[in-house]
Amino acid sequence: MKIGIPRGLLYDHYQFLWKSFFENLGAEVVISQKTNKKIVDDGVAVTVDEACLPVKVYHGHVMDLRDKVDFIFVPKIMSIHEKEYICPKFCGLPEMIKTSISNLPTIIDPTIDFIKNKKHLLEIVYEIGGYVTYDKRKIRLSFEEALKSHQNYKNKMKQGFFPMDLDKKHEEKHEAKHKEDTQKILLLGHPYNIYDEYLSMNIVEKLRKYGMTVITQDHFSKDQINPQMNELQKKMFWTFGRKMLGAALYAMEQEDIQGIIYLSSFGCGIDSVIADIVERRTRRNSKKPYILLTMDEHTGEAGIDTRIEAFVDMIKWRVENENYVSTHGQYISAR
Amino acid sequence: MKKCYLGVDIGSVSTNVIVMDEDEKIIDTLYIRTQGKPIETIQKGLYKIKERINNEIKIAGIGTTGSGRQLGGIMVGADVIKNEITAHGVAALHFVPNVQTILEIGGQDSKIILLRNGILYDFAMNTVCAAGTGSFLDRQAERMGIPIEEFGDLALKSEATVRIAGRCAVFAESDMIHKQQMGHNQEDIINGLCEALVRNYLNNLGKGKEIKSPIIFQGGVAANVGIKKAFEKILGQEVIVPPYASVMGAIGVALLAKEEVRKSGRTNFKGFEVANSSYQVKSFECDHCPNMCEVVEFFRDKNMVARWGDKCGRWSNVEVKNTKLA
Repeated sequence: MKIGIPRGLLYDHYQFLWKSFFENLGAEVVISQKTNKKIVDDGVAVTVDEACLPVKVYHGHVMDLRDKVDFIFVPKIMSIHEKEYICPKFCGLPEMIKTSISNLPTIIDPTIDFIKNKKHLLEIVYEIGGYVTYDKRKIRLSFEEALKSHQNYKNKMKQGFFPMDLDKKHEEKHEAKHKEDTQKILLLGHPYNIYDEYLSMNIVEKLRKYGMTVITQDHFSKDQINPQMNELQKKMFWTFGRKMLGAALYAMEQEDIQGIIYLSSFGCGIDSVIADIVERRTRRNSKKPYILLTMDEHTGEAGIDTRIEAFVDMIKWRVENENYVSTHGQYISAR
Repeated sequence: MKKCYLGVDIGSVSTNVIVMDEDEKIIDTLYIRTQGKPIETIQKGLYKIKERINNEIKIAGIGTTGSGRQLGGIMVGADVIKNEITAHGVAALHFVPNVQTILEIGGQDSKIILLRNGILYDFAMNTVCAAGTGSFLDRQAERMGIPIEEFGDLALKSEATVRIAGRCAVFAESDMIHKQQMGHNQEDIINGLCEALVRNYLNNLGKGKEIKSPIIFQGGVAANVGIKKAFEKILGQEVIVPPYASVMGAIGVALLAKEEVRKSGRTNFKGFEVANSSYQVKSFECDHCPNMCEVVEFFRDKNMVARWGDKCGRWSNVEVKNTKLA
């Protein structure tokens, strides 16, 4: 039995949980290819116009799996935290997929809704596992094992690890690790935007090549993110919105973080609110440079490159000046 | 022999070349229209510069900027290839050391750059919209049958206010046509358009930014006095248009090239012969993976000198033969 998992949307977040759960159950797991031009083009062609780029790309990933597997796992995710929602497009994802793409294999589309509490988690797990086996005990044990690898992965992320570092060789990994003398940049954005090398135009690697250490909201702990959120007038009820905003508010007060980049996909409702709050707060409460980069299927790489290069130049220029005491006291040349 | 530095700004609408001497004095400037042919335009620019400056001059360094900076950099052998924002910031600081705000409007993009105490502090570039840029002004001037050079002066003659919707170039155009059909004066409509562009620029780029004087206005559109006046009216502050406003990017990158050569001790400049070579660009779609990258091959006198456009590096990393000829 072959189960396909599209490498899109929350895949980067839950890849170990989903993959090892199905594998522990004894199923063969097929992950769609990394996002490439064909996947983007296929996705854009079938998806409704109004959807954002990551949703379109997800469709492309489903199409990549369509003829290769017996089942495709497309969970209907409404809420992953108590009293918090995620983007409403996720609630309609299985329906969108089923109506937009023809000749699909069976879609495994459990409803995941923890808005009230997580009490029925096990029921959902049994429902998903039921596609593979009737053995409830096996399902439960498989899930518990999978949770461990998920936790392991999350801990790794907290240490500054990126999903794209996973398939690198050991020495490269070592290089990618945090260096003390480099400048640190906080890269904010939904995980499916910042961790997808194709969609993000490899922004993480580009920043690293300029000698920057890149961190994201996933590298902060709950204790760093959540206290900031109490200062807000209203509860931030989007899970990813809370993480990004909390990380930004925390980063503003950290001396070793030199700048904030927000990578947003065009037409994202959550980003339009969060990016704006982050920008206002950053300008009001700190002197850190901030830039918003917007991408969609028409975005040219040259435009992004120019902005990244200028942003890095600005940070280096600023840092050099902090360490340099001019004899004239003003107008230190940039050159 | 006098040592000089070249700055080349290859933009979407214009290509600018400047010559600067060792004392950072500008000796010559050139502003030519790119017209979608960057390679020929760079050659033309270098050829003209070579004709105009006498042979007493030796080029000690060269830099490229603008959207065509990579291509231009490979062609001429640039010592430094820099983005437009840094280049504009460096140039503005050179002329007005205490500058705090740079308004820059070019052919296809517009940017705002904030500087504090002589360092780049913040910047923004236009996103998906080109409504506030030179190419839109160009198009409107053409549609109205007015040479772009006279556009700004006409706006100054306006006596009544006509409000044009500046949110979007397409809507601005239909709004202008509507105002024309209503019988408004051409000067008033042009002035209205200038103000609409400035409003759009400030809403788009100036959002949340502290625009402090001295304010410098540069880029090709700075030559338009109508826009300058509209900026001053809306901002309520004086706006300075520096002497070399339209070629500031090129000046900035020449300054950076001078610095780079001072560090490295030598220039990569391939000489003015670049203007006499024949260049050719070929492209193909790589079918090795589903990314289907469009790979570009760049030839000088039938020898391949560079290759780019692939994501994985299988083409661009290949050592190109005959690099000496390049």
